[in-house]
Amino acid sequence: MTSSVMERQAKVAGKTLNLSDIQGNVVRAYGHIGYFHARYLFFRINDPGNARAFLTRVAERVTNSAYADSKRNTRQTTSKASTNVAFTFAGLQAIELPAGSLMGFPQEFAAGMKKRMSILGDEGSSAPEHWDNIWQKEVHLWVSINGLSNADVEERYQWILRQNKDSGDGVELLSGHRGAAGEEDLMFQTGAILRDENGNPSGKEHFGYRDGISDPVFEGQPNAPDTVLGRGKLLAGDKWAPLAPGEFLLGHLDEAQEYPKAPMPRSLAQNGTFMVYRKLHQNVATFRRYLDDSAAQFEGSKEMLAAKFCGRWRDNGAPIVDAPDDAGKKCWDARFEAADAAEKRRMLTDFHYNDDIDGARCPMSGHLRRMNPRGSLEFGQKGAFNTPSALADRRRILRRGLPYGQSGPDTNDADDHGIIFMALNASIERQFEFVQQQWVNYGNDFKEGNDKEILLGNHTGEGKAVLQVEPGSGKPPHFLTKLPRFVECRGGDYFFVPGITALKMIAAGIVDPT
Amino acid sequence: MSNIAGKAYAMNVITPIRSRYSFINRWLFGKATKTPAALLGLVTLSLIHYARWVIIPRNSFPHLDASQPKEELNYDYMIFQSNFNGSWAQYVDSFTFAIPAGLDLFWKWNVRYPKSVPLTPFHDYIRHNQIDTCHYYSAYPMAASNDVKSAKVLKQALCDFDKASAGKPADEFLTDYHALLNAMQLHLGEMRPTPVVSMAAQAVKDRHSGTPEKVQGFKGANDSAEPVENSASSRTPPAAPLSSTDAPEYS
Repeated sequence: MTSSVMERQAKVAGKTLNLSDIQGNVVRAYGHIGYFHARYLFFRINDPGNARAFLTRVAERVTNSAYADSKRNTRQTTSKASTNVAFTFAGLQAIELPAGSLMGFPQEFAAGMKKRMSILGDEGSSAPEHWDNIWQKEVHLWVSINGLSNADVEERYQWILRQNKDSGDGVELLSGHRGAAGEEDLMFQTGAILRDENGNPSGKEHFGYRDGISDPVFEGQPNAPDTVLGRGKLLAGDKWAPLAPGEFLLGHLDEAQEYPKAPMPRSLAQNGTFMVYRKLHQNVATFRRYLDDSAAQFEGSKEMLAAKFCGRWRDNGAPIVDAPDDAGKKCWDARFEAADAAEKRRMLTDFHYNDDIDGARCPMSGHLRRMNPRGSLEFGQKGAFNTPSALADRRRILRRGLPYGQSGPDTNDADDHGIIFMALNASIERQFEFVQQQWVNYGNDFKEGNDKEILLGNHTGEGKAVLQVEPGSGKPPHFLTKLPRFVECRGGDYFFVPGITALKMIAAGIVDPT
Repeated sequence: MSNIAGKAYAMNVITPIRSRYSFINRWLFGKATKTPAALLGLVTLSLIHYARWVIIPRNSFPHLDASQPKEELNYDYMIFQSNFNGSWAQYVDSFTFAIPAGLDLFWKWNVRYPKSVPLTPFHDYIRHNQIDTCHYYSAYPMAASNDVKSAKVLKQALCDFDKASAGKPADEFLTDYHALLNAMQLHLGEMRPTPVVSMAAQAVKDRHSGTPEKVQGFKGANDSAEPVENSASSRTPPAAPLSSTDAPEYS
């Protein structure tokens, strides 16, 4: 097949994404339609027959991605709460998926997150023995509820429990989540958007950064042309294009012009994806103390230093490559205030590192640069690669998390607060695991040796990071030393999120790879 | 057997090439080495120590002894050798993503070369023709090629600085020192052991060095097959004594 035919097919496939067959939160984050409250439930399958009966009932109300097409579906047309379902590999075994299908799943998914701890750097305080009790059990099934209010979530929760009871208790809700008051055995994990002092949703996480600004844009997402700047892939001439849908959805062509590795039959994989669920505890007190201490030695404001850690300013998310210091931030803010909504969005996402090859603005170990280096791995050698962002395009992930817990002014590290991190990708190994290992916990691709990413790295209190300054200025770079661990893993696993048809097939017990 | 030593991976790939076309490849290689821009993508991939392509005509394989039977080969052979940092997949993927056209040109006349995109046939082609490394030694097991390059730059700069700053007053010294740090700010990464390249490689390494497996101590029902709190003493000791100065590499 010629490449032009493949390109055309990818385009057609992208434009005709069957949103009704893709589970909700995949094509568009639930936060965008006001689902600010969530509960994550984990089940064990005890009786496959009754579990299938339960899933058949639940599948009737599983939320799809149709709301993502805002032209046809507005917030008013969606219900007050959502329901979504995903399986661990052990869960697919427990529900008696045929061996021929099971063998088609990628090995890292089959192994599960715990066995990949060495790859993920889940060591020390992030090691599995410190994870919440629930992760000391065998988890089979993930059911999530997102809703407009806690009451809406509670109502759907009761409905789900009722379906299980009415279908013969085929699944068992597992306890073991840590809670805010030191509880160890809660029945579910809650998540909720953090609010500002006026009670409005802030979109921030516990360290004070605005989160979830530039998720990848892929072909077939409604409104992609408006949102692609800074969020798709970077082509020559500073042009942006949406990524291939197969980077995030099984059964669709990916950036390598092939279908992602997926189980048979095709209908089992179609419109499915893989989800990485991680409860990431944030050591908020340590973070605040470290920031304060470091700011005393830093030339610039404390907020500027916080922006260096992340690559964005904490108040409004201004990218530091465009607002490099306190003075630059003032100018940026003035332009931002005067801008309309579309321009605001552009200002937050449409940037790259072509004018910051030395990391003088966004440091090489800064969060943004490490998570999505855009075209910066060309190191200023324009035209070296097929496209400037070639080395980043196949490492992108969709982030679909929510914060959990509260972190007031007097909070300490022992409090239960952090982010429920959920990443969606077609290949956990190539995308999430690669980023976690090579870019978060190592630095060679950024020519930073073993220096880790500042915020997420699994620091042990010894590591350092270099905050580069303008080359030739004669000023020394700023060194962050004795980096403590700001974020630690408290559990999680790898899940398969089937398309709606596939979910109904699994529930009906009719998956047949022959 | 291992393709990995320290942070480096040794890759050898031998692919048949039709004799009547191999002169075109030689011409292409010659042209590429004379036009640096053509190799920019390769040079920019910072995980590469080096990459080398050689064509051996079918009648030119080394003949070490009269008793060695003469081969009857149908093709010339192209040998690709490279040392790089990171995993096999990262390397091959990076090649495919970054410089697909260049790869296709270099392998154009090789038998059954599938093109570098789509990825899976290219992966299969390299795997099929790869010769595993029998013995591989790394003098700097904790260094990636970037670290070596940086260390060279840093050492020279420090030596020059040392000479230039002898006897300077303190304030002048400080100014110069700051300028030195500024000039060296992209060469200050720490050197520590490599991240785990793959679970399989790690398992081999752990078995060989007698260190306990990293997955230990947690009590998961789904991990009942996994050794719980295994100790070094329960493991097979290293098969052969290792050099005392090096990190526990194996040959």
